[in-house]
Amino acid sequence: MSLFVIAYYTLLLGASCLAAYFNKRSAFLLLFSLTLVSFVLGIIGGVSALRIVAILAGLLALSAMVSYAFREFLIAIASKNLAKELRTAPLTAAFGMFVIFTVAVAGIFAPLIAPHGEAEVITSAFAPADANMLLGADQLGRDIFSRLVYGARNTVALALAGTVMAFLLGALAGLMAATSGGWFDQFLARTSDVIMSIPSLIFALLMLSIFGGDLANDTTSFWLLSAFTGITGLLLVSAIAERSVIAWVIGLAVLAGVAALFGGLMLTIFNPSEIILILVVAVIYSPRVFRLTRAVAGNVVVMDYIEAAKLRGERKWYLIRREILPNSTAPLIAEFGLEFCFVFLLIAGLSFLGLGIQPPTADWGSMVRENATLISFGDITPLIPAAAIALLTVAVNFVVDWMLYRSSGLKV
Amino acid sequence: MGDILGLVVKRLGLGLIILLVISVIIFFMVELLPGDIAQAVLGQGATPENLAALRKEMGLDQPALVRYLHWLAGAVTLDFGNSIVTGASVAETIGERFANTLFLAAYAAAIAVPISIVLGVLVALLRNSIFDRVANVATLTSISSPEFFLGYILILYLAVKTGMFPAIASLSNDMSFGDLLYRTFLPALTLVLVVTAHMMRMTRAAIINLLASPYIEMARLKGAPPWKVIVKHALPNAWAPIINVVALNLAYLITGVVLVEVVFVYPGIGQALVDAVSKRDFPVVQACCLIFAATFILLNLAADVGSILTNPRLRHPK
Repeated sequence: MSLFVIAYYTLLLGASCLAAYFNKRSAFLLLFSLTLVSFVLGIIGGVSALRIVAILAGLLALSAMVSYAFREFLIAIASKNLAKELRTAPLTAAFGMFVIFTVAVAGIFAPLIAPHGEAEVITSAFAPADANMLLGADQLGRDIFSRLVYGARNTVALALAGTVMAFLLGALAGLMAATSGGWFDQFLARTSDVIMSIPSLIFALLMLSIFGGDLANDTTSFWLLSAFTGITGLLLVSAIAERSVIAWVIGLAVLAGVAALFGGLMLTIFNPSEIILILVVAVIYSPRVFRLTRAVAGNVVVMDYIEAAKLRGERKWYLIRREILPNSTAPLIAEFGLEFCFVFLLIAGLSFLGLGIQPPTADWGSMVRENATLISFGDITPLIPAAAIALLTVAVNFVVDWMLYRSSGLKV
Repeated sequence: MGDILGLVVKRLGLGLIILLVISVIIFFMVELLPGDIAQAVLGQGATPENLAALRKEMGLDQPALVRYLHWLAGAVTLDFGNSIVTGASVAETIGERFANTLFLAAYAAAIAVPISIVLGVLVALLRNSIFDRVANVATLTSISSPEFFLGYILILYLAVKTGMFPAIASLSNDMSFGDLLYRTFLPALTLVLVVTAHMMRMTRAAIINLLASPYIEMARLKGAPPWKVIVKHALPNAWAPIINVVALNLAYLITGVVLVEVVFVYPGIGQALVDAVSKRDFPVVQACCLIFAATFILLNLAADVGSILTNPRLRHPK
């Protein structure tokens, strides 16, 4: 019996006794079941297994403390109404917000935080960690920590761009379908049914096999992007202009300008193959957004106040903007978070397969693939970017979970 | 019974139509390529004679619609043409791999389905307790992790550090069934972890939904013992949502398998698809996509039909 084991059981049993004494039933149940599990684990796995449990519990306690402090911090700096909402956030949601905040800071200030450049070769391949390199070097001798920080920028920016585009198209189409009804609604619904009946990863692979290679050049990606923006814009213009010819002409002119500007802007930020990836993701996930928006908006459209607004002679765009959207924000925001998770995981998976973000751009998915050989030597380095992917997805999911709980009023 | 049969036939017909539309998408997407497949295969530096020869060989001189019908007729009889890269028959290359993939998916499902349904029902009965909350966080974490993360963790701890299982799932024909199960345990376990989490959450939601219905309340109020409420009142109505959950997650397994196969170098159809995509071997890509989509639709159909058949209200029409 080492000192560690004695201290371990004393602490656990003491804590469960305290919990029982102060009538904290759930805490007692958790602590005592952990004690019982530890007996079994200790017999099977020995001291090292108990050590892992202790480390995990320590990490859990640490993240709980960080989340608690972060929530209090947010409450302190937020306005009065927002603070009231934040007080209802469970610790998991606070933890999620903290992780999102950290990744956002890492991504935005990447060049300032990272000690080395994104593609800068500084030492020999797979050099171990030292004072200069926190996590060692990768297969080409680049600093893994710096690449991780840059990866936060590249991967998340790409996923965010894909989600925003999928969301704009899907939500606009859903709102239009719900307000217009008829053949337009049916057509969009059947189209989305077909797209959704192909598994997303498979559809992505199919599209990437076609638009990869030579086709991933500036011109093609610009035109594809413009086509996508054009379709989204057409929905918007038709919602605003309705039957007025002048409004259509002005709208189309503005749309052409915006599409060209947007295409140029995207091309300066991302390279062509990344734009193709964004478009693929947007095409795959917009039907999901469409379906949800259509369902949510469909529930609002049948309300009496919509009928009243229609009788007042309000236009479609007014109905969407002032009546439907304010009454469906909560599920839509939650959906945005969920879509982001799906998109993020899809892009990470594609990059892991070597078909997503291309080297030398630092990206979490491809970093796992590049360093995977280290696993067979018992090194955990390739797990770090994978863990980063998992952590961010969990974080977003935690926040979404809280929002869904609040918006649905599910107090089961 | 006539009503149910009609409903089932209607669903099957709908599934067939969707599959047809998808085959159109898969085929004509490749047609979007500027030039044609021959151009894409030979690249920019191809001589006109080479191009013409290849076009003739692949039948590209015929109109697209004719080729589509030809391809579709082939696909129905499991003949997907020849690979561009190796020249071998696509059906032969991926046939055995598809069987391997099905084996892996079935293996994972056989472990995951019973565990997740039992756990899901248990968590639903213990809802809002500390166990429910721990399970919620654990399943959410498992869902959010990419498959390759779980896979590499398992490789690191169960294969490299302790050496309990092989890290690479290499198969050969003369392996005994037990050996096969042992060698493919890690990829199957990875899939189990992801799918169990999904299924548990969905089962929990379905059961909680059910327990909130008035007839359960009524059964409790009339003094039925708890086990009887579950077995006699809740379970008959719970089959439909549970079958739905299982089928949907089996469909999910089919896609999850791609990443897992790559991590464990498992000789399945997912790996074949990824290789074909990076080599731009279109006949193989088309065949794999069609197979995956067909399986996906089939499982979704099974979910629909299963929930129709187990719905007591439909089985005993008024």
